[in-house]
Amino acid sequence: MTDPLNLHDIQGNVTRAYGRFSFPFARYFFFQIRDPAAGRAFVDTVRKAVTTSARWPEEADKPACTVNIAFTFMGLYWLEVPDRTLQGFPDVFISGMRARAAMLGDRDPTRTEADDPDWDRGWDRIWRANRRPGLGGAGDVHILVTLNAQPDLGEAASGTPEFLSLLRVPHPELERRTEWLRSLTCDGLVLIEENGLSGAEPYQSASAVFDRFDGHALPTAREHFGFTDGIGDPVFKGQYPPEAERTAVIGRGKRMGDGWEPLEPGEFILGHPDESQELPPTAMPPEFMQNGTFMAYRKLHENVGTFHDVVGEEAETYARVMQVGKVEARETILAKICGRWSDGVPLAVVPTFSAWIAFGQAGGWRDEAGQIRMDAEAWNRNLAYIRSPAASDFRYADDMAGFKCPAGAHMRRVNTRDYLDPTNAAGVDSETGRQPVNAEANHALNKRRRILRRGLPYGPQMAGEGRDETEQGVIMMILGVDLFRQFEFVQQQWIQYGLDFHQGNNTCPMLGRHDHHRRHMIPSDPATGKPPYMMTRLKTFVECRGGEYFFVPSLMALRMLAMGIVDPT
Amino acid sequence: MADLESGHLFLTYVIPIRRGGPRNDVSFKQKLRIELARLPPAHQTPATQKTEYAAPFARNRRTHFARMFVLDNVVYNGRNGQDALVGALRNVGTLTPQHVDGLRSAYLVFTADVDAVIRQGDPLPDDLDPEAQRRVRMAYARTLWDTMGEEIAAIFGNCHGFEGVSSGEAFGAYLERCHVETTMPFHDYYLVPPEFHVLPVRALALAVLIPGGIALGALLLRILGLEALFGLNTLLLAVAAFLVTLLAFVLAVRHALRNGAMPLAPARHDDLPSVLKALYIQQAFADFVAEHQGRDAGALAAGFGAFLDRNVPADRNGPTQRPGVIASDAPQPRARV
Repeated sequence: MTDPLNLHDIQGNVTRAYGRFSFPFARYFFFQIRDPAAGRAFVDTVRKAVTTSARWPEEADKPACTVNIAFTFMGLYWLEVPDRTLQGFPDVFISGMRARAAMLGDRDPTRTEADDPDWDRGWDRIWRANRRPGLGGAGDVHILVTLNAQPDLGEAASGTPEFLSLLRVPHPELERRTEWLRSLTCDGLVLIEENGLSGAEPYQSASAVFDRFDGHALPTAREHFGFTDGIGDPVFKGQYPPEAERTAVIGRGKRMGDGWEPLEPGEFILGHPDESQELPPTAMPPEFMQNGTFMAYRKLHENVGTFHDVVGEEAETYARVMQVGKVEARETILAKICGRWSDGVPLAVVPTFSAWIAFGQAGGWRDEAGQIRMDAEAWNRNLAYIRSPAASDFRYADDMAGFKCPAGAHMRRVNTRDYLDPTNAAGVDSETGRQPVNAEANHALNKRRRILRRGLPYGPQMAGEGRDETEQGVIMMILGVDLFRQFEFVQQQWIQYGLDFHQGNNTCPMLGRHDHHRRHMIPSDPATGKPPYMMTRLKTFVECRGGEYFFVPSLMALRMLAMGIVDPT
Repeated sequence: MADLESGHLFLTYVIPIRRGGPRNDVSFKQKLRIELARLPPAHQTPATQKTEYAAPFARNRRTHFARMFVLDNVVYNGRNGQDALVGALRNVGTLTPQHVDGLRSAYLVFTADVDAVIRQGDPLPDDLDPEAQRRVRMAYARTLWDTMGEEIAAIFGNCHGFEGVSSGEAFGAYLERCHVETTMPFHDYYLVPPEFHVLPVRALALAVLIPGGIALGALLLRILGLEALFGLNTLLLAVAAFLVTLLAFVLAVRHALRNGAMPLAPARHDDLPSVLKALYIQQAFADFVAEHQGRDAGALAAGFGAFLDRNVPADRNGPTQRPGVIASDAPQPRARV
């Protein structure tokens, strides 16, 4: 047996989405180094508290509050990493996310920067200043420290009313760690307190969206539009113990002819073979890069008012054109935008409204009238379902026409599964009316474009409180060994463009820009006798409010950074 | 000739650039590069949409793709590699420099994928003999001269032997001297896969293996001492069957090569006017659907009638998208100076 991943050397946020591991609260701190020695001293202190990927509880105690750290390119420069190492970093990481704005669709790609000089007007102050031309680096962000906290459950027994009532309270360790970070700052290492809408928040805070069940505010897997999020994250070799991997991999790994298999670790962690059977390129020395990865930190604002207005208008037209009730129209529009029904049930598995209601009833989170049950048991059952393999185990090659899940829906864009297999056939059988199945379709054109999604929603803790102008959205942290090949490709080609899905210039109905392209096509199975429906009034629902590209080093690399002994020779 | 594929000509011209430069000026190579850098690009980004004039290749409607670039020299790959043991046995002196090969001058390389027709709008041909291909190339050269003669003169004026070229006919003749075969064309418009010229491998193999087997068998019998079989001399049979095998092999290889060189048939709607019309109709029809969604049958029929009248889908030359722009509703350049 070969040596498995060295989980003690990999930062814990690489292998775990903390939100799924009962850490619903987070704070993100951004620091600037003004004196390299002070920067190294800070790294040396923080690294000793960093949460690794070592397994809980057998290899490490589960902390009340996790600590993780990452660096921008300018941060590495200020830590005096040798030039020979720096020049080996990927060019997009060196450029930084701001310089990639047009390509990412964060800036209007139909205008030149000279014609739109104030394009970042909506960004948080900290991100407007970061890497801004003309400032000489005065506003640059160098270090990111992330804290994720569990609730303060004390001795409460799981499932008891006391337990449920405590789920909303962050563990005091979160505040203690905050004070600890503050205590580490000095003239040579400052905390950039320019976050948020006000531009004066000391850190970016984030929290799962809570909703009321039986009078208890319980954390949900939803974001502020009401979609269930974070279900189909990729699974790679060594991430889980063999036993757990067998079920985790279903719907979340790859299919290459031998059922569901985990992805190669080299897609997500440097220094390991990747899906093209190569080692991902790294800077020198290899031991500085091994077990590290790259991360795009993005603050994505959600225009919840506009979103609900547009969905309401479209639902009205849809109800009239398709002759269905208003509730069905609204829920269907939402599902056809996302690819999942609002409670996380995939369209590819449960394609119709009536079947969806029945599915929720059978699952135990809908009542006899079809309404979602707002009690703790229903909450538990729905969470258990979306964490089960059943919520991820489906394919698209048997639905090339998108009768079940539209080809342009958010989920089909960000994880194409077997949809892009060139042996897939479109159309319907003239006698049976069925689509070709192509059971052998594989993920060859998908497995090099997978991304790990970390992060949490931000904004009001309770669901349904926001407007466009209020602070709410998602802090997206996208991890992979190659930002260019993985994150940027997905963002540019699959979210902000539609060619691979035969959608022309249409962008992702949920995340895409809609200032120029406002349409989303919802195909209809001819057997229903109903026409396809074209959404025509999309507006930009999600706007970037800033962010940056980070390097997430291994524990070994952190020690080398702190000691100032990165040696590329 | 692999120039012709799917009703298109995939053209490659390699044109020698004059050595040195004019007195008190930069090199001809640099002057040529300056002319290339000054060509108006296609109107496909907000930056290039600021260019007032259309890209010169967008002034005709038969160029799917065109590229001009300067080939400075062949890439030097270092010494010829050799197995160390073989080198030692042959007494190769690894300290002695080998000859370094290079081109006699820099070259302007001009590649284009064009409809293989004399007149724009003609149907794409299945096959063309070399003379017919030459006529298409000449017609394309005349089109370029008529639509971008000024740019051609500025670029090619830095090339060897271009003096005196002052007409489309002369430009065509000049390009003919620089024409080289394209050995690997690439075509990507198929809506349905084309009829491939499948090689009958099994039949060809049998045609070679059967006489070959007879030759071997006869030879074996002869060796075993059997001089005649059914009254046939086994030695003569072996020789005759061997000759047949050889002939069958030569014919099979020639057939395979000829089969491989046969161009694929054009795809449907594959000529540039059809492609542009399709792009135009796609956009117009999406707009039509958006505007008419949910209307009753009468309004829909009337609207679609008006759509047909306005956009005339069957007329490739009617309302259509211009070449060289990203969309019908994007900023449109002026055709030419």
